[in-house]
Amino acid sequence: MSIKKITAVALLLSTTSAMATDSPINGTVQPKCSVYTETQGVYGHPLPNKLSTASADGGVSTSIRYDIAQADFYKAQITHPNSFSSSPTLDDVVAWTGSSVVGQVSVSGMSAYEAAKVISPSNVTTFDMTLAGSTWFTVSSTALYGYNKSLPAGSYTAIIKADCIAK
Amino acid sequence: MTPAYPVLDSSYINGVVVAKMKLFNRREDVDYYQIEVFTEDWKPVSFATTARLLKVGYNKNKLFDVYIRFADVKKTKYICTTSKVFKGGNQETLVSSMICSKIK
Repeated sequence: MSIKKITAVALLLSTTSAMATDSPINGTVQPKCSVYTETQGVYGHPLPNKLSTASADGGVSTSIRYDIAQADFYKAQITHPNSFSSSPTLDDVVAWTGSSVVGQVSVSGMSAYEAAKVISPSNVTTFDMTLAGSTWFTVSSTALYGYNKSLPAGSYTAIIKADCIAK
Repeated sequence: MTPAYPVLDSSYINGVVVAKMKLFNRREDVDYYQIEVFTEDWKPVSFATTARLLKVGYNKNKLFDVYIRFADVKKTKYICTTSKVFKGGNQETLVSSMICSKIK
């Protein structure tokens, strides 16, 4: 009987003691960069010789999100296409245009990235990621084929390169 | 990919240094990543690793070691992982992402 009581008291004490113990949760914030495709781009085909991601042309622009864990460690470099990665055989030249612009931002100061961006060469845009948080970039692309020539029927795919490079 | 600034440590092979890296896949549309090493002006540098093409599931991470010859250390600047995208289907744009850590 007394042994049972002692055991019960001992168990209670141990439980109380466990409840009083601090349980720290440890974490480390490291400088890191993550890239997400928020919206997959789609080419509209408004004219026989034109493919365009502009909404006015029936396309969808690509939206890419960069998450930066710590300020001023990375630069974002976005390359819009200047060739198709897959297409039917083309026997004439394709004239490419495009742009990469700052869209939504998680910190208001990130809006300044747009004015400070560097375009060099013509299809590569570099943004200096000086603030921590998320930035969405909208990338558009247009391809004009030959001189008013119709694009051959088939599937067309182009690749946007979204790089995040430690400074 | 972490760390942003990897440290090159001596390895168990004479004349070869190693960088210990970690890749975290935050892209649901990507399963494979290619490891590459570059100089400051983006010329490729010879390196060794267990697999140059890593399969990493969505929201999973993978540790990997990059071995570089001691003779190449001075010219090595970036260790990068590039997402591998599938060929794609109809009239679309695909996003290939490259994350680079810098050796300082």
